[in-house]
Amino acid sequence: MASKTPLLDVQGVTIQYKTSDKLVTATWRVGFQANRSDRLILLGPSGCGKSTLLKAVGGYLTPAEGNISLDGHTIVGPGPDRMMVFQETDQLLPWKTVHQNVAFALTASGRASKIEANDQAMAAIRTVKLDKFADAYPHTLSGGMKQRVAIARCLAMKPEIILMDEPFAALDALTRQQMQVELLELWSQSKFTMIFVTHSIEEAILLGNRIVLLTPHPGQVKEILDVDLDDPTNRFYGGFNELRDTIHRVLFRDVQDYVI
Amino acid sequence: MALDGTLTAAAEDFAKVPQARATEQVIGEITRPLSLAEKIWNQALVRKIVILLLLAVAWQMYSQQLKNPLMFPTFGDTASALWSAFEKGELGSRVLVSLRVLLGGYTIGIVLATFLAALANGTRLGNDLLEVLTAMFNPLPAIALLPLALLWFGLGNGSITFVLVHAVLWPVALSTHSGFASISSTIRMVGRNYGLTGFRYVVQILIPAAFPAILTGLKNGWAFAWRTLIAAELVFGVSSGSGGIGWFIYENKNQLEIAYVFAGLLTVIGIGVAMDSLFRLLEQRTVQRWGMKF
Repeated sequence: MASKTPLLDVQGVTIQYKTSDKLVTATWRVGFQANRSDRLILLGPSGCGKSTLLKAVGGYLTPAEGNISLDGHTIVGPGPDRMMVFQETDQLLPWKTVHQNVAFALTASGRASKIEANDQAMAAIRTVKLDKFADAYPHTLSGGMKQRVAIARCLAMKPEIILMDEPFAALDALTRQQMQVELLELWSQSKFTMIFVTHSIEEAILLGNRIVLLTPHPGQVKEILDVDLDDPTNRFYGGFNELRDTIHRVLFRDVQDYVI
Repeated sequence: MALDGTLTAAAEDFAKVPQARATEQVIGEITRPLSLAEKIWNQALVRKIVILLLLAVAWQMYSQQLKNPLMFPTFGDTASALWSAFEKGELGSRVLVSLRVLLGGYTIGIVLATFLAALANGTRLGNDLLEVLTAMFNPLPAIALLPLALLWFGLGNGSITFVLVHAVLWPVALSTHSGFASISSTIRMVGRNYGLTGFRYVVQILIPAAFPAILTGLKNGWAFAWRTLIAAELVFGVSSGSGGIGWFIYENKNQLEIAYVFAGLLTVIGIGVAMDSLFRLLEQRTVQRWGMKF
């Protein structure tokens, strides 16, 4: 038994939503925990409810059954203690510059006064190496730069937990690799806690220290794996491939049985 | 000799080569500053002013040949009437009266429209309410309500304000509503992630995010309001002491001061053009700068 209580506790969470003619169960009694400084990955094929689960942690959806608590408090709605990074590159407010976007997050949520927010925002923008673009409007930035601003916004807020919903999925392959490395560097600087949703097995192994494997229709936890590799950034190294094959086998076990 | 001939031919060919190279090297001017005349003509404003001048000349020529100042005064007469009406301060004070009433009605209309659209954004019933009301009242010309307004509010600015609010409210509410509806769910979630709710959420997230549509609504609302105002003043001014610019036109028509009627119309046009450029400036400073062109 874990001696310390987890930061995030998801217990038996069932999420259902209604379309115009039916009730759909997105996840079925899902449970997992995240400790402080964890990089927890929710991995699974589309339809496994991983984004839905993340939105429930964000407070945008209420579970039909079960409980989600952060630091012992049940989550009842969205709030700045759980900052989201979305996949869509339109998550920056287009009417604000890069600097204003980060600073506004701080002032609107009451995390900092106007003057403090200016400095803290600038510092966060510097950590993602975008200080030259502080006064640029989002529509003038590339997709990768926009995602870096969104990450800077999260870091500046110093939330309890960062929720990332496939933040690099819309980027080209090269930018994506670079962003993954940069995210790990940022993590090693401030050791934030994050939940990262992805459908890429490689991305999961590279970024996570723990991987929750979900299967679809409805989303259920298949297995929770610890990533304990010497060098998870090395894709040619045996441990990486072995883990990738294991995950592949777990995720597609049922399908393979059926085919063979 | 044959050999000699080919040799000479070859020599001639050889001699041509440098010449050919020389002509290839001359590829014309690469950059050349435009002449002053070209630069001036490239200004849209200059071209538009030229069009206006041509129209004025055509007006002057036609009216001089017509020789009927009661039907169609010359451009010169109209210009001097405009000048003297402004100089006496009469037209200026009329414009001020009109603009003051307009601003009042416009502001009330926008506030009500924003409120209605925010309500429609938040609740399903509010949404239905807005749709029913706009479907009913948007096609109803504001001026058609004037008789009723006179009955309810009497002769005075109250009646005009009432029809102005009607003219502004529905188009602005409709476009604000469609603007709110087109805000991406990501932007909405970002706003709520900051912990914004209620009034602050509407003002700091929804309104700027829907601003391209809202600006279009404001422009339409302004145009509707301005037309309604002048029309209402024309109908209304008959028994009003301190009328606006519509009343100025009506009064001068009764006194057969047709040059002053034209001067009044030119003022109406002028204010319309000025407001249009004001909106264009606002669009450049906001929507275009943010890359949000609707």
